[in-house]
Amino acid sequence: MSCGELERLFLAGASPEHARRHAGGCTTCGRLKADLEATEQMSAGLAPPALAPSLRKSLIEIPRRTVSCEGAERLLPLAVEKELVAEDERRLANHLSRCAACSEAAETLLGSRELEQPVAPPWLAARLSASRPAKEKRLWAWILDPKAAIALAYAAAVVVMLLGFNPADIARRVSASQLGENTRAAVNVAESSLTDRIGAIQEKVSRTVQVWKGRAGGYGRAAFSNAVGLIWKSSGSKGRPEERPRNRDGRGAFRERETTTITTWRA
Amino acid sequence: MSAEEKTLVDRCRHGEDDAWRELVDRFGQKVYSVAYHFTLNREDAEELSQEIFLKTFENLHRYDGSFPLVAWLLSVSRNLCIDRYRRKKREKSFRFVTDDAVLPLLKSNDDPAAEALKKERTKLLFWALAEIPEDLAEILVLRDLDGLAYDEIGKVLDLPDGTVKSRLFRARAEVARRIRERHERRGSTGAFQTLALAAGGVL
Repeated sequence: MSCGELERLFLAGASPEHARRHAGGCTTCGRLKADLEATEQMSAGLAPPALAPSLRKSLIEIPRRTVSCEGAERLLPLAVEKELVAEDERRLANHLSRCAACSEAAETLLGSRELEQPVAPPWLAARLSASRPAKEKRLWAWILDPKAAIALAYAAAVVVMLLGFNPADIARRVSASQLGENTRAAVNVAESSLTDRIGAIQEKVSRTVQVWKGRAGGYGRAAFSNAVGLIWKSSGSKGRPEERPRNRDGRGAFRERETTTITTWRA
Repeated sequence: MSAEEKTLVDRCRHGEDDAWRELVDRFGQKVYSVAYHFTLNREDAEELSQEIFLKTFENLHRYDGSFPLVAWLLSVSRNLCIDRYRRKKREKSFRFVTDDAVLPLLKSNDDPAAEALKKERTKLLFWALAEIPEDLAEILVLRDLDGLAYDEIGKVLDLPDGTVKSRLFRARAEVARRIRERHERRGSTGAFQTLALAAGGVL
């Protein structure tokens, strides 16, 4: 048994003299102090066991017998290619027999060489060739593109029309042999398109004229009818039906002799 | 100290034979001592030393120089030592310590009586070490038998200094208590020291 003071002094790094002084005055620690000193004496003065020369030689030769994990990393790629010299192969094998991590890495790497080659499905070649990526277009390719040429032709035709010319005539006057294939196609398209457009505009104009003619005729007839009515009124308006009496707000009202029958729905 | 040891380790990593030889000469004796104290057998200690240095060589890239190399060597191989120690305990090698097991630890002495006494005390010590919990025993071995500093023991066992000292105190107290109890079971009446001095017939 101990009061714990000896341990406290020991942990605090107190001198042996301090511990001895406490143990001298403490009945519970006196015996423990003697026991501790005896235990220390038991291990004191023991000699270290001598390292045998053969063991020293064996320890020095460790790098010739095995490799480190770092060394294994360097040797493994060569092992996969079967390019290791015999000594390195032996050192690597020694290390792999002891190191689980490197052994797993080696098995994975070496095992990759033994995998079967997957057989491609018969349709794969056709699909790959069909999905060949499109080549990147250059500026001149964009200019010679038929769609772009048609757009340019439209733009040019609009400009010409704004200047007061008929682009279809101009196109007709230009010799077809002087134009490139794309341009000729664009001119043809523009020509036919403009002809269509002009025809459409003419048709629209003629329809509009017809409409206005019709409206003008209708208004004329209405004016004539009104004039006849005014003349008829002014001459006594005989034979015209009696006008419906109006309330004060001008809305229609029943005549006195008119009756209404309200029918109630009964079940 | 650690920077110089780091340089030595880096040279070993780059395959310099001289550097590895220097490392073996500097730490071989210490490692062998620890191995012997955990096995009490020359062949086992040599085998364990081989394992410790092999493991050290394979893990040189892990040493960052942050603490003494000897502590790192032993921390890398601590499990090896503990495994051997447990095996030896199961085999009762510590409970029935032979003269041959402790002879390599004794300095030659001109006085045969004193030498015999020391031999019996040492056998008693290893018997008591086998009786106490192994976390206490390993600290006592590293400190009292192998002479490691508190901070080195802390690095080996991954413990703070305070815990190392506390366990060391408890280890010594436990060893003393086991020896006293054994003495009392035998019916002796002498003090602990008397038992230790006269331990010839105990084991």
